[in-house]
Amino acid sequence: MIVLGLDTATADTCVGLYSDTEGLELELARHHRPAPGERPGHAQQLLSLAAAVLHEASLTWTAIDRIAVGVGPGTFTGLRIGVASARALAQASGTQLAGVSTLQALANGAVGDDAPVLACIDARRGEVFVGAWAGGTCLLQTRAVAPADLPALVAGLGGDQLLTVGDGAVRYRDAFGDTANIPADEDRRHHVHGLAVCRLARFAPVADRDALMPDYVRAPDAVRRPRSSATA
Amino acid sequence: MILALETSCDDTCAAVVTDDGRVLSNVISSQEVHDAYGGVVPEIASRQHLQLMNVVIDDALTRAGVTLDDIRAIAVTRGPGLVGALLIGMATAKSIAVARGLPLIPVDHLQGHIAANFLAPDPLEPPFVCLVASGGHTFLARVDDHRSFTVLGRTLDDAAGEALDKGARLLGLPFPGGPHIERLAAAGDPGAFAFPLAHGVPGLDMSFAGLKTALLYTVRDLDAVEGAGGAAARAADLAAAYQHAVVEQLTRRVARALDEAGLDQLAIGGGVAANGLLRARLTQLAPTIHIPERALCTDNAAMIASAARHLPPASPETVPGLDAYATDRAGSLAQGTPS
Ligand SMILES: [Zn+2]
Repeated sequence: MIVLGLDTATADTCVGLYSDTEGLELELARHHRPAPGERPGHAQQLLSLAAAVLHEASLTWTAIDRIAVGVGPGTFTGLRIGVASARALAQASGTQLAGVSTLQALANGAVGDDAPVLACIDARRGEVFVGAWAGGTCLLQTRAVAPADLPALVAGLGGDQLLTVGDGAVRYRDAFGDTANIPADEDRRHHVHGLAVCRLARFAPVADRDALMPDYVRAPDAVRRPRSSATA
Repeated sequence: MILALETSCDDTCAAVVTDDGRVLSNVISSQEVHDAYGGVVPEIASRQHLQLMNVVIDDALTRAGVTLDDIRAIAVTRGPGLVGALLIGMATAKSIAVARGLPLIPVDHLQGHIAANFLAPDPLEPPFVCLVASGGHTFLARVDDHRSFTVLGRTLDDAAGEALDKGARLLGLPFPGGPHIERLAAAGDPGAFAFPLAHGVPGLDMSFAGLKTALLYTVRDLDAVEGAGGAAARAADLAAAYQHAVVEQLTRRVARALDEAGLDQLAIGGGVAANGLLRARLTQLAPTIHIPERALCTDNAAMIASAARHLPPASPETVPGLDAYATDRAGSLAQGTPS
């Protein structure tokens, strides 16, 4: 099976191309990481990186068996660019779709075995999206929590030195105290890997295109655009 | 034929238009969810666009009786508009174009409103003056060819449709306000109150913010003098006078624009073009007045396809990296040369 994996839930733009087809074994990935202070470049980067891995593999879009996309949680606009692109690529080529949890992809990319991992994505507004897995087993369902609740959460997962990764872990490192094992800020395990998205998608159920939506976790703020705001 | 997508505000739109400008389908999925908020909520609009985009495309293809195999190019609104909303259309259009190896034609939304006049069966040939008035934009343009326009004047603050929305709100009417004001105004006297016509604004520019403020003070004064409900009792007169002021300001600018441009062809577009009083007043101004049908005046994708018929595709190597833009780009409204 040839799987193209996409993820735009974090500031990074992640693409993976995986194949276990005999004679065409592939494990390719491309990532764009914005420099500190730079805006994420999801809209400009996603298809460019996807085209680049296909080119590297000398494959065309029609060769893909399954398009996998990280459904978050993460930044709303980023998530939508990933899901809209995946849906439209499937619409254009008739390819299967699969959605995977970005938190689980983050956890999957951080360890090669069944050790437990707590994945944390910065949810902004003083919250963190968290989820924990050990291999394919979910230990903690995706949710948004306050940084102050993180130590108790780690304790509940068996505590001490739980491998904890993601931009949320880096940002709220202090909140964890010494309860968790958080790699150094620049460690690559804090970033989603395109191939982790592909690996999870191989065993994910095929998604119905029109039901494939981001896992927003949060409801939208009902803030009107200024042009229609209350008068005077 | 061209498949076009438009998601600049709160309508999810797809259309199929032939190379000679016939509209085979023009699907507009309106997001009524915003009415309860009295305006468009960008995050809700973006979520809805994502949910609906692909089924709206399927619907447009089905209604046109074609498949993606019949499409020679994809067109999409690149801006201006709500960026989060535009990005759904852009990501979708780019992905389809790249996966199918089709050209992608990015279109400026305002050029789209003007190009609505180029559609069959009754295309208007340039040169003409075009008034575009909606809840999001209000400007006057001189159109000399099929791919660009020159801005003659524009609102300096609120859009005309926005003024009608705000006026309706002050009168306790639902969103969107234009049709409700028009209905209420039918029973009122447009001369009952004298609302400002922005005489102080030079040239062909327009201003509607003062009008809304004048209505606010008038309502407040009526309630103060005649007691609570004083303004409500005069609602029809207020609506008629308010609508009159909006229409009158637009009409005077259009008359001057035709005069200064030395042209006798006028086109109008945008949601406010549906207003009966505006249509009646403008019809008196020019020997030829061109008003596309309502579904082509409000935001739609057929107008984007229409514009794309006359525009070059983006070079293939730039397509994956194309981004949306939120505001009138310097070149778009100032010089009228959208790319
Ligand atoms: Zn518009």
